[in-house]
Amino acid sequence: MTLSLRSFMRHEAVLGILLVLVLFVLAQQSDKFFTTANILNQGRLMTEIGLIALPMTFVIITGGIDLSVGSILGLCAILLGVFWQNLGLPLPAAMALAVCVGALAGLVNGLIITRFKVPPLIATLATLALYRGLAEGISQARSVRGYPEWFFVLGQGEVLGVPTQLWILIVFAIGAAAILGLTTFGRATYAVGANETAARFSGINVDRTKLLIYTASGLVSGIAAVIFVSRVSTTRSDMGTGVELDVITAVVLGGTSIFGGRGTIIGTVIGLILVQALKNGLALSGVKGDGTIVVIGVVLIFAILASNLFSRNGDG
Amino acid sequence: MTATPASSAETAPPLVELRNTSKTFSGIKVLKNVGFDVRPGEVHALLGENGAGKSTLIKILSGFHTPDEGGEIRVNGRPVSFSSPRDARKAGIATVYQELLLFPDMTVAENIFIGHAPRAGMGALDWNEMRRRARALLDDLDSHDLDVDARVGGLSVANRQRVEIAKALSQDARLLIMDEPTASLADADVRRLLDVVRRLRERGVAIIYISHRMPEIFALADRVTVLRDGALIGTKDIEEVDDASLVSMMVGRSIDQLFPKVVVPIGAPVLELRKVSFKDEVQDISLTLRAGEILGIAGLVGSGRTELALTIFGITPATSGEILLNGRPVTIRSPQQARDLGIAYVPEDRGLQGLVKPQTIRENVSMALLDRISKGSIVDRVKESALARDAIARFGIRARGPEQRAGQLSGGNQQKVVLAKWVSTNPKVLIMDEPTRGIDVGAKSEIHALMCKLAGEGLAVIMISSELPEVLGMSDRIMVMNGGRMVRTFDRSEATPDVVGAAMTHAGASHAGGAA
Amino acid sequence: MSFETATVRRSASTGFAARTFATYGQEFIILACIVVLFVAVGLIAPRFISPTNLTTIFVGNAYIAVAAIGMSMVIISGHIDVSVGSLIGVLATISGTLAVSGYPVWFAWLAPVIVGMVVTSFIGVLVAYVRIPSIVVTLGMLSILKGGLISVTGGAWITNLPPDYLIAQFRLFGIPSPVWFMIFLTAVAAMFMRYTAFGRSIYAIGGNGEAARVAGIPVERTTVTIFAIHGLFAGIAAVLFATQLQVIQSTVPPNLELTVITASVVGGVSILGGTGTVVGSTLAAILFAAIGSSLIFLNVSAYWLRAVQGLLILATVLADMARRHRIG
Repeated sequence: MTLSLRSFMRHEAVLGILLVLVLFVLAQQSDKFFTTANILNQGRLMTEIGLIALPMTFVIITGGIDLSVGSILGLCAILLGVFWQNLGLPLPAAMALAVCVGALAGLVNGLIITRFKVPPLIATLATLALYRGLAEGISQARSVRGYPEWFFVLGQGEVLGVPTQLWILIVFAIGAAAILGLTTFGRATYAVGANETAARFSGINVDRTKLLIYTASGLVSGIAAVIFVSRVSTTRSDMGTGVELDVITAVVLGGTSIFGGRGTIIGTVIGLILVQALKNGLALSGVKGDGTIVVIGVVLIFAILASNLFSRNGDG
Repeated sequence: MTATPASSAETAPPLVELRNTSKTFSGIKVLKNVGFDVRPGEVHALLGENGAGKSTLIKILSGFHTPDEGGEIRVNGRPVSFSSPRDARKAGIATVYQELLLFPDMTVAENIFIGHAPRAGMGALDWNEMRRRARALLDDLDSHDLDVDARVGGLSVANRQRVEIAKALSQDARLLIMDEPTASLADADVRRLLDVVRRLRERGVAIIYISHRMPEIFALADRVTVLRDGALIGTKDIEEVDDASLVSMMVGRSIDQLFPKVVVPIGAPVLELRKVSFKDEVQDISLTLRAGEILGIAGLVGSGRTELALTIFGITPATSGEILLNGRPVTIRSPQQARDLGIAYVPEDRGLQGLVKPQTIRENVSMALLDRISKGSIVDRVKESALARDAIARFGIRARGPEQRAGQLSGGNQQKVVLAKWVSTNPKVLIMDEPTRGIDVGAKSEIHALMCKLAGEGLAVIMISSELPEVLGMSDRIMVMNGGRMVRTFDRSEATPDVVGAAMTHAGASHAGGAA
Repeated sequence: MSFETATVRRSASTGFAARTFATYGQEFIILACIVVLFVAVGLIAPRFISPTNLTTIFVGNAYIAVAAIGMSMVIISGHIDVSVGSLIGVLATISGTLAVSGYPVWFAWLAPVIVGMVVTSFIGVLVAYVRIPSIVVTLGMLSILKGGLISVTGGAWITNLPPDYLIAQFRLFGIPSPVWFMIFLTAVAAMFMRYTAFGRSIYAIGGNGEAARVAGIPVERTTVTIFAIHGLFAGIAAVLFATQLQVIQSTVPPNLELTVITASVVGGVSILGGTGTVVGSTLAAILFAAIGSSLIFLNVSAYWLRAVQGLLILATVLADMARRHRIG
């Protein structure tokens, strides 16, 4: 982590305190909140966003952004159905292939950004349309059902009492934290985000770093797609719409600066839990699904505002 | 100010005058009680090392900064205050900066008149009038070949500069400030620019000319002012000074006292270039560099020195020619390859290319050798901290510790961090590009001492510098570049300011000095 | 004047035609594409160019072109707004609700425009003064507006709109009024962008913010105003959308903001800011609408339209980048 110990304490600590406060308030609002069943269920629901938020943290630290993650999720979900049902592949192979397509989509993003020097914003805005368009075109709005029972263990089952996908999220989160905080690749990520030119002049392969990060973003979106399909038992072409909002909110709320150079995985995880807790609390209070996205939008704007204030107070 | 020969201009107030002007930034006084004036139709050169306060001075004159309490600006004898660059422009003061402030997607005509475009009926912009007037302005500047409808982004640096000058004149500038105008220009364009300056002077426009190039100053200036460390050292008529006296005013000591050159045994050839070229920016460079040797590369800015360094370092890989390291041919297509081969580059622009300012000293020092201090891919923090502490001690970096943010250090200490980063990679060749730019004199000597020590340990050093005294004082051999080519090489014994300076302004390639 | 100088002078100024093509090159290409498309598809499926279908294409999509005018200004100034689709949805609902609730028709037309300007001015303030990147602000705004709309309306359609509310019914010289709006507003905006100092300052801010500031342009204030103007056009677009049929659906077409951005970008507005025209974005909006319609006539599933959209943006942006790196 590139923050000094003192500023780590400042930002993540504030976030941690905020989380505790929010949890406390929500627990008061509804006695259904702090039950084991609810908490585990929330863990299940937040996995897809959580997984994608991990590589997104890397992306935003390098000063970029990936708006196409939701579309990649949708495309991979559709292709999972196509590979299995239309092409007759065995389900495990279809799953693996779908994830590969995700990685490929991410790689294309990375190539557009590094080879053609298109700014990440517009590159992923264009692929957002393209990938979603492919999903819609390929699926023709038909959905695929009838997956075998064992498939649903992934999205609806449990291992040792904890939802399956939550284990996956935990493992990935630990891995991502290790890579970002401990490895040379993590250092390269921070360097590219803080000063890309100096990173290049120091012998860091900037293009390769970016390429890997965007490919990872696509790959993880593919994994999230498989989990999503398993959880809702069907595939539809509009899956994943709006995912990018939740993901970016979680990352930014977790202290990653939208301008790059700063951020941690643990911050993203706290941000993720906060967002999920908010959604859950609102739902338990009777607010419908659409109402919650209003709140998420407001939270995003406030998170950036707060982040701006923090960085002006002597961090950057 | 010194006395000047009597003339009618002496009794009239100067065009623009600064009195008792100081400027403080975050507690640091960058200008200390400076007095400065410019007369109509005068070319007044402003000299000083980087950090001397020149850019602050002109920023005050052009309305970007306000002087500290007690300082005064007078135009035609009357006190004024500028709250924005616009005010200064209305008072007839215009500035042409090094980083040109132009709009790449707009035409030449529009760039010239942005903010004050001619109007037709009902307040609509009159494009025809704009183009006509732009054409007239450019013709006045003898730029007949510059199309007013051309997109500025596609123009050469010289042409863009002409647009900036036309822009200044379009608002009836009485005083034109030019900041290092020839820094990025080729010879032919430099000559054209000097003509333009003379022409403006004839028309009564006063010019403040900031440059470090002696030949131009002596060709153009009527008076010269030297700043050092934010203070005014003196303002003299041009007849009263020469190269040596100006240098000594800028630097404060005579040349020999500055650089403690230690003569070191010179070993076997380490780096050899054979007719190396990069497009048309670096042309047919051949040189041999030996262990323990310091090769100084001199030349005017734009002569291709940094381009050569970037080609050796792999940022802009060579398009033809051969590079040999310890006798074996190598291909260098990226900075990683250069680094792995033992070539290190301390860049010209410390803040942008050398350091990651928001990161700590520790992270900066280890940035070029992350894979060497890591097990697998995991960075070894213990080794890294030891490396940083060692660097701080060895290079005399004044900091609170390895965890201090690099951006908080002074210029000299920042440069030491960059140097430490590269020396840690155990290079065989160290290229330093303007190693002491923007550094106070004390730190300068420290860097020079470090350079000599490194050479003594067997490193082969290439030192690119625009400061002639530094080049003369430190180098075992001097290579002069111009227009991307090597003009001459000198041995330490035969190099004097005159011959080197002459070679720097000599156009075209000359093989008289030998290719080695 | 010597012969030499005369020759040099002549070559130093390009002719009107050459200049016009240099500035409006992209626009000509789009116009050519439109012509080619109409001719080609018209030959394959003649009903494509029937008056009824043409009316459907133009009237049904005029509001997109109008929204793209404001969006082009925002993008030229170096920002973006991904919430404009949801905004139009909200404003259209406000308009329709006012109309069926007995308010005078002119009020139902005017109120959404005012509200639109207020909302976008707020966005502008966050972007210009608080310095939050526009992508983030508008990403948040998108969900606030979208979620808010559904929460409030519950997804219900608005029916029984008073007949004199429906602007689309009015015709002038046989051409429906939305088309006139589109043409008129595009022309006015184009002149504004070309012949007023404010219009040029939009290009200046997007082209080189620092230089614009030094040139005396009040960057922050201008940015807020640009967003306000964008809200104006979004409001007009919303009214045009709401007044087409006798019902207003609960949602605008999905990803409307993407379609509007596509129109701007394909129309020649560079995402890097500083270049582009509103004429281009209007033409591109028409082209895109025509492509969408032609898919139906060519028996290509309409579900491929989004993919076409993505490909168009990508191709335009890649070409733009390639061109920049050649000239630089």
